[in-house]
Amino acid sequence: MTAPTHDPLTLSLSVNGETHEIRVPARKLLSDVLREDLALTGTHVGCEHGVCGACTILIDGRPARACLTFAAQMEGHEVTTVEAMGRPDALSVLQQALHEEHGLQCGFCTPGIVVTFEHYLRENPDPTAEEVRDVLSGNLCRCTGYQNIVAAVLKAAARMRGEAA
Amino acid sequence: MTGDFTEIGRALPRKEDRRLVSGRGRYLDDLAFPGALHVSFVRSPHAHARILGIDSAEASEMPGVVGVFTGRDLDQMTTRLRLAPPIEGLQPTEMTTLPIDKVRFHGDPVVCVVATDRYLAEDAAECVTVDYEQLPAVTSIAEALAPDAALVDDSLSSNLVSHQSLNVGDPAARRAEAHRVVEARFALHRHTHVPLETRGCVADWDEGRAHLNMHIGNQVPHPLRSQLAARLGLSESQVTVISPDVGGAFGQKIALYREELTVAALSRHLRRPVRWREDRMENLMAAAHAREYECRTRASVSETGRILGLELEIDEDFGGYCFYPANYMARVIALIMTGPYRIQDYAYEVRVALTNKCGAGPMRAPMAITSWVMEGTIDAIARELELDPVELRRINALGPEDLPYKMPTGEILEDVSPRETLEIAVEAIDVAAFRERQEKALAEGRFLGLGLCTVIESTTYGSEFYKAAGIPGSGHESAWVRIEPSGAVNASVGLMGTGQGYESPLSQAVAEGLGVRSEDVTVHMGNTDIAPYGMGSRGGRGATAGGGTLYLCALKARERVLAIAASMLDLNDAGGLRMRAGQIERMIGDDWQETGLALPDVARRAYLDPLALPEGIAPGLDFSHSYDPPAMTYSNSTHACEVEVDPQTGAISIDRYLVAEDAGTVLNPIVVRGQQQGAIAMGLSGALLEQVVYDGTGQNLSATLADYLVASPNELPEFEILHHHTPNRRTPAGIKGMAEGGVMGAIGVIANAVSDALAPRGVTIERLPLTPQSIRALLRETAPSSTKRTQP
Ligand code: FES
Ligand code: FES
Repeated sequence: MTAPTHDPLTLSLSVNGETHEIRVPARKLLSDVLREDLALTGTHVGCEHGVCGACTILIDGRPARACLTFAAQMEGHEVTTVEAMGRPDALSVLQQALHEEHGLQCGFCTPGIVVTFEHYLRENPDPTAEEVRDVLSGNLCRCTGYQNIVAAVLKAAARMRGEAA
Repeated sequence: MTGDFTEIGRALPRKEDRRLVSGRGRYLDDLAFPGALHVSFVRSPHAHARILGIDSAEASEMPGVVGVFTGRDLDQMTTRLRLAPPIEGLQPTEMTTLPIDKVRFHGDPVVCVVATDRYLAEDAAECVTVDYEQLPAVTSIAEALAPDAALVDDSLSSNLVSHQSLNVGDPAARRAEAHRVVEARFALHRHTHVPLETRGCVADWDEGRAHLNMHIGNQVPHPLRSQLAARLGLSESQVTVISPDVGGAFGQKIALYREELTVAALSRHLRRPVRWREDRMENLMAAAHAREYECRTRASVSETGRILGLELEIDEDFGGYCFYPANYMARVIALIMTGPYRIQDYAYEVRVALTNKCGAGPMRAPMAITSWVMEGTIDAIARELELDPVELRRINALGPEDLPYKMPTGEILEDVSPRETLEIAVEAIDVAAFRERQEKALAEGRFLGLGLCTVIESTTYGSEFYKAAGIPGSGHESAWVRIEPSGAVNASVGLMGTGQGYESPLSQAVAEGLGVRSEDVTVHMGNTDIAPYGMGSRGGRGATAGGGTLYLCALKARERVLAIAASMLDLNDAGGLRMRAGQIERMIGDDWQETGLALPDVARRAYLDPLALPEGIAPGLDFSHSYDPPAMTYSNSTHACEVEVDPQTGAISIDRYLVAEDAGTVLNPIVVRGQQQGAIAMGLSGALLEQVVYDGTGQNLSATLADYLVASPNELPEFEILHHHTPNRRTPAGIKGMAEGGVMGAIGVIANAVSDALAPRGVTIERLPLTPQSIRALLRETAPSSTKRTQP
């Protein structure tokens, strides 16, 4: 067997509203490019086979698995990561609710959950607990037992709707 | 809440959340090391095979490859792991860093490829050829212990790597005089931990200082450093272990694994930073497995259901390698088996076998099976004697009048409340109303079940316990508290959190002892140069050993602060002084009144005006303390759950789940509640879905998350938690520890509930997991002859 060549290609990648010109091998995963080439380490890699949801990002506003996407496919698309959703000193409504409801422990799954529900709540501002559980089933959390995450999403939804919660 | 505390027991949200929830945490793989090399391991495709030759010529020539290393190379750079504690019935074992002559399980790391990038390292790893001669694989306990079994470890006399027994009182006599002898069987399947962040490490050898910085997500930084230094032939001054944020561990990140030692050795050898990020397949196949047991009990009972004697046999499948002394986990199960019940005549036999599977280690609640075995035995007695299972528990359970209670194994229970939590759970679930619903449902052909499970959870192991068990080691923990010249409070302890959320509760322990607000305390962990040498995080010792030591250390600091404050206030002594929220207060009449003096004033004097200090008081405010907890502390709980089993599909739905738990003094109820929920979830997930599967040739068939199933929110109910707080009189602030009992209770309660539901079909659960397929298989095996319910 001879080693395949992996000459880098140049692509322009738009992430969180900023365009980056980068040179990466065509086979490099979007998750690795975000983390290694752009230093956006909030997108976590938990399985690299599309099951755990830790690497969830938005592509053109819709949730996707960064570990199942090549960075080279992103030419002409807009990628959004957890880094665009709130900062430690200015948490989003959803992040604040996760903090208050103790919706995270090790926090490794959390960015994927934040990205998933930032999107979901925009499209479904008044979900039931059942619906939240259904959507959350795409994100594995080994630590929390999920109950507090569901409570946090419902709390955030109520706040976003302007209800006191 | 218990006690008269101002900071302990506050429901403070966690300090670490802001960084973690916004994606600004720093986990291992987030750390950048310019010029770092990356490794990839070539792993065995066979369960058991001799290594005849390794050809790495092609791989070595590939782009980016810096080197290819085998077991023989690593044997030159590291020492072997020898485990030979003087424990009766335990065979000493030794392993090389990577295998040299033969592989012992599917996934065993054989060759390490180092390259400039992870992708290139993986490319090259695929081009290494290893020539194997396959050997017969030993894949079950029965096979391992058969007289003609192939040896998993060629240096041992048999695969029975550990064998212990005990006989207290006269269980044989009890059996002879018993009204009935009830036998029951329990088989728990192989689990694995599945932290969402896989293992990994970055070793950074500093050639100039001859010093290794080892960045690694780990629960026990100091013991890890000791082992790393020893196996690399370095002094403990030459190694720093640094744990960043860790994405879960659950017992998987305690041992120094062979991959990590390899990476460290190669960093020194190549004089470059070297990193490894385990992929999920490696994690599921080769990180560490847990929990594979077969147990049998024989209970001698009176006509009324009093347990007169208990005999227990435990067999454990330990896998191919011993990263821990092989008696380590099974022995504890045997030691605490009788748990909540009054039993004095007791015998056990514990056998641990090596097989050609991934090595076993502790997993959150290493003693997880205990409560299922004991409570399943109680239910078996109830079924056989046609007694009410609740009543049966009542007449056997320890009550306040029995405490302190010396278990037949010598373990002492005090300040526990098993009968109380039982009553709380039974009342909350309303057993009588459930039985009515159950009858009605059965008439409609629906199968409801109620499970109960009382747990005695061993939490903090003190040195005395290790000594009694013949295990070298210590249960102590160490802490320091330092008040800086500005009055800022820093503290540290040898623990390392892996997601539990230590920063708030440990700050609360310091704040309580010192008399400041938790918000003003910073606890630094996870760096062996900064933290004092402690035994780290394992079991449920974080609160008692970690929090307890910090609390005692802070009390020491407060004493000094108040002595200095007294002199600043021209008082003879600190008798009438206290500190609250950093303000020095003085008792005047019956009232605490402000003195106008605050911690920063005292700190300034201590550091910057030492000549003004009272005689005998040294400058500065720097304190350290170590503390060894009692031999063992125990928490307890009773779990209750209602299920419905669909006999057509084998599906189980959990209709209600509650737990009454006594965890003593709680540092932070938010964090404790999270631990309770997480532990129950892990127990249920394991009992319902998870399973490491090997085929008859030792091939691992469950190495992706599509095959090894972890519960999603759709399979888990809401957990109702009822609290009962009995402080432990022998620990600082009455802390007991918790966080593993939830796993124990969940496994027992779900198995018992399903047995109850399927009793009319003659099915008893003796084997987990409770997948739809396994339930259907059980129903097929037992003809639906009777639909009569035997339990009241
Ligand atoms: S890392 Fe992408 S789904 Fe798990
Ligand atoms: S918080 Fe640890 S995996 Fe979700």
